[in-house]
Amino acid sequence: MNPANGGWLIALTLVAAMLLGVVHLPETWPGWLGWLRPNWLILVLFFWVIEVPHRVGLIAMWITGLFVDVLYADPVGLNGLILASVSYLGWRFFERLRMYSVLQQCGILFLLVLGAEVLSVMVLGLGSERPWSWHVLVSALVTMLVWPLMFLLLLRLRTGLRVE
Amino acid sequence: MSALLITLESSTRLLDPLRSFIGSLVSPIYVVAESPYLLTNAVGDVLATREQLQQKNRDLERRVLELSQISQQYVALKAENDRLRELLGSQGRLPYEVLIAELVGVIPDPTTFQIIIDKGADAGLSVGQAVLDAEGLFGQVVEVNRFTSRVLLLTDRDHAVPVRINRNGVRSIAGGTGDMGSLVLENVAISADIVEGDRVETSGLGGRFPPGYPVGIVASVVVEPTSAFAEVLVRPSALLDRSRHVLVIFTPQPQIESNDANTDGVVDLDQGEAAPATNGVENAQAGAT
Repeated sequence: MNPANGGWLIALTLVAAMLLGVVHLPETWPGWLGWLRPNWLILVLFFWVIEVPHRVGLIAMWITGLFVDVLYADPVGLNGLILASVSYLGWRFFERLRMYSVLQQCGILFLLVLGAEVLSVMVLGLGSERPWSWHVLVSALVTMLVWPLMFLLLLRLRTGLRVE
Repeated sequence: MSALLITLESSTRLLDPLRSFIGSLVSPIYVVAESPYLLTNAVGDVLATREQLQQKNRDLERRVLELSQISQQYVALKAENDRLRELLGSQGRLPYEVLIAELVGVIPDPTTFQIIIDKGADAGLSVGQAVLDAEGLFGQVVEVNRFTSRVLLLTDRDHAVPVRINRNGVRSIAGGTGDMGSLVLENVAISADIVEGDRVETSGLGGRFPPGYPVGIVASVVVEPTSAFAEVLVRPSALLDRSRHVLVIFTPQPQIESNDANTDGVVDLDQGEAAPATNGVENAQAGAT
């Protein structure tokens, strides 16, 4: 099989995740809904890195992170660090993670997103007055709950398009 | 590597070119994300009925009449003001130019209030310019890419703007609270003459925001017996969560480039304060304090 098969799909889903990250709700909807945004990027990346770890490069992820930083108006380098760390952890333990049940994977994702959110709050705190809040927990919880659906969707895409 | 970049960015402006280059590449993503709203607006325009359009047209015509009446007075008042200033020997105020920009994106993080507008370096924008909407001060430009710019809203926690009370000229600083509906006046003495309903406008101190634009209306004044300061909350006039069109103000720059040639000490001092030297978000504080 062509080794380059499906690389575009990985890139496309990552771009879609970034897009979902900046979509905002209509102004008339209550503001607290905005807190329930899952961390789409980590979701998508986590799937690809445990399914096809050899296709997800650390440096590529770090550079993707630069784009995400600018898109989300975060300090340059922050998301690169997060994405590269998630890729590394996934790549290191992908055999084990693949064997886990969905519930266990949810737990792992919860910890990953929690770590990522805490890290970004700490880094953002260096240069601004944003406070700590329960936001970090909410985002991790929502991400965890979305994972089974995301997993099924991406798995279908992956098998349908034969990404190896 | 990331740590290096983060440190570099928080302390210097070396990474600004990189940021704005990447920003130009990713700006289409904002447009795609915003497209449902842009489409709804467009479809709404097409599907509007004749009566609706006529009604809207009537309303707008009435508004134009009202505004033109005010602007006639304004011309006379401006002339009078200039004459008086001349008598006092001070410089007349230069008129400000504005550029209309449209919102194309919102930064999704609920702990910060920032938007993306569709004008960038190509349209001549630069970091630090004040942004208004139809009702009042909106925020300031904190990052400029080729085609888009990022605007920090004035209710963001990191934003502060020097203000004065319209009624009596009491000066203060209006800081963001992280809540879309309120600003807080910082370090207001208990004895300060500020009451509910006072209009708050930009004072122009610090040189970043032009003077005289409405910021908001005092919503509440709480005096705690134990505190040395009064807690004054201001409701911003700008429709921060609804405006889709904003105005970017171009402040006419008096010649401040030739710093060395200038021998006047006072002016030098002014320039030091007004020159936009620091980076993005901290800028608001630096400009204000």
